[in-house]
Amino acid sequence: MQSLFNKYPKLWRIFDILLPFFATLAALAVGAVMLIFLGANPFEAYGALLEGAFGNINALADTLVKATPLLLVALGICIAFRGGVLNIGGEGQLVVGALASTLIGLSFADAPGTLIIPLALLSGFLAGAIWGAIPGLLKAYFNVNEILSTIMMNAIAVQGMNYLLREPMIDPVQLESASRIPQTARLAVAFDLPRLIPTRLHLGFGLAILAAILVYIFLWRTVIGYRIRAVGLNAFASRYAGIKVSRYIVLSMLLSGAFAGLAGAIQVYGLHHRMFTDGSATGFTGSAGFNGIVVALFGHLHPLGSIPASILFGALIVGANKLQRVMQVPTAFITALNGLVVIFVVSSEYWRRRWARRRETEPVEKPPGATEAEVAT
Amino acid sequence: MTMSESQFVLTMASIVFVSMPLIIAVCGEIITERSGIVNLSLDGSMLMAAMTGFVIAYESDNIWAGFLAAMLVGAFFAFIVAFGSIRLRQSQFAIGFVLTLLGDDLSAFLGQNYTRTPGPTVTHFGIPLLKEIPIIGPIFFNQDALVYFTYFLVFFTWFWLFRTQPGLRLRSVGERPEAAFARGVGVNRQRYLYTVIGGALVGLAGAAYSLDVKIGWSDGHIRGMGWIALAIVIFGGWSPIRGALGALLFGATKALASYLQSRFPEVSVVAFNAIPWLLMITVLLLVGSDFTERVILMAPQRMQRPLQRFLRVSPPKALGSTFVED
Repeated sequence: MQSLFNKYPKLWRIFDILLPFFATLAALAVGAVMLIFLGANPFEAYGALLEGAFGNINALADTLVKATPLLLVALGICIAFRGGVLNIGGEGQLVVGALASTLIGLSFADAPGTLIIPLALLSGFLAGAIWGAIPGLLKAYFNVNEILSTIMMNAIAVQGMNYLLREPMIDPVQLESASRIPQTARLAVAFDLPRLIPTRLHLGFGLAILAAILVYIFLWRTVIGYRIRAVGLNAFASRYAGIKVSRYIVLSMLLSGAFAGLAGAIQVYGLHHRMFTDGSATGFTGSAGFNGIVVALFGHLHPLGSIPASILFGALIVGANKLQRVMQVPTAFITALNGLVVIFVVSSEYWRRRWARRRETEPVEKPPGATEAEVAT
Repeated sequence: MTMSESQFVLTMASIVFVSMPLIIAVCGEIITERSGIVNLSLDGSMLMAAMTGFVIAYESDNIWAGFLAAMLVGAFFAFIVAFGSIRLRQSQFAIGFVLTLLGDDLSAFLGQNYTRTPGPTVTHFGIPLLKEIPIIGPIFFNQDALVYFTYFLVFFTWFWLFRTQPGLRLRSVGERPEAAFARGVGVNRQRYLYTVIGGALVGLAGAAYSLDVKIGWSDGHIRGMGWIALAIVIFGGWSPIRGALGALLFGATKALASYLQSRFPEVSVVAFNAIPWLLMITVLLLVGSDFTERVILMAPQRMQRPLQRFLRVSPPKALGSTFVED
């Protein structure tokens, strides 16, 4: 085994890429033990999960629909984390993107869909960009910690959403009835994103895949992308190389927010066709702004790696619902399962590094008298 | 429209009372961050601790058991962060963030049978002589045991950090781990120790909400307070006294917001809900910018140094980094 890997170094790379999936399997194995304690048959349970996520064309479509916002947010996170800034503001950026695009759809209700859809997606992209750029500017020019400012921007976005959906943007029907559910009117049917196949799967998923490829090209094949990564790897060295570090910090936050904003717009036009709130961000976003971070980490902060990662997490969300319905296991199990997957994936990274280190040190002949540390360096 | 004196005293006393858990959490996080580790899981671990503390106190009918359980939960979360960053060499921020999400979900599930049930609480008692002092007495010394503990905690943390040998060692680990290591300080052992102690305090803060300030448990009971605490740590320049002042300031703006809301009912609630957050961002912005530096330089020469020491913020140099002992 060891020699096989040494003979074909490429195998190591494949192994590295597949490692998160092995970690997921291990997490599912631990989950199986928990299921036995809960008195459920793990094979049946995972069968239900798989069937719920991939069992038929509708299930598969639902999985991909759930994966869409996760993937878009994750793309933004890839850019931000590669650029050395921690964008925790996905939720807020997603909300403002959705709000801006809804506003476009409500104001031009009679315009043709071919005009409004691109305009709405663009407005979502721009609104998210602005919402992301603010913490970027604060970090670059005022040294404000971006973790905190993005969290606060989330809170402000949610408050703004609650206000807009309860008063100016509320559905006139809700205004008349006593219930006053805080949601907008349904957008014109002409604005619905085209369905790809006769299921709930909409064009948004295709756009997200396209965006993933574009982000990959941007980060690894353009000068600006290279500079973003350089700043993320070593800001000091980049400064000496003549890169204007502050500008690239703002840029990576801006782009990061833009993709989350686009995700919001796509959620509105592809899935919900209106905007609604339950008072917190999660009612509308389904925590996609946070889960996107986990997806990006799962995909090794690589745009293309995020595609399978987002599908896996989409499948976990959709399949877990089915599992819960069929097997009557408590919601906690689903939460715990998600947590287990995350923990296993994060710790698998540790083993990967350990193996990588051993791989690098192994072929080196130890000179007589040299210490361990000298060989390692 | 003027407030009568007793109204003023009552408002101030409630600000002190409401800010108390935040001050405890801020002290805990300051201890952790001074040793060089960021425990980003505050929001989740406070929720978990609040839930655990409430449930244990409710089931055992012993409020101190609740506080103890909450401290253990907080310490456990902090230990995961420390272990993950020191031993597993993972990003502290990623681990803390994942734990935040986990704590939020897990507390919502595990506590679902205990939502909106009345629970035990801490009794108030005035301190005999001190509470007779006009204005200050009723504001600060007619509270409950936890508030008095908080006064002690703020002072003790400050004293420990800046006036003792072990405190010097703690700060050296956060500032120059290499130098500290060369002087024979076990850097990572110190970091484990203070992360766990800080986490226990964060857990205590969570229980201080569910058992004292905002009694009871519901899903997402105190969501957001952990993030506020993290912001106040920065605002407080990693000093417990300034941090406590920051927490009080935050409590005061919240009180002001709800007062304004009752004065201007025609303005949406939302506008007032956003005030504390906007204020936090503004404050972080002012503290971090060159503008403050320039204002300080305009002050009389003699005032500059003390002003600088009070207003300038510089995080522990090795904050968030990992240190490999070899």
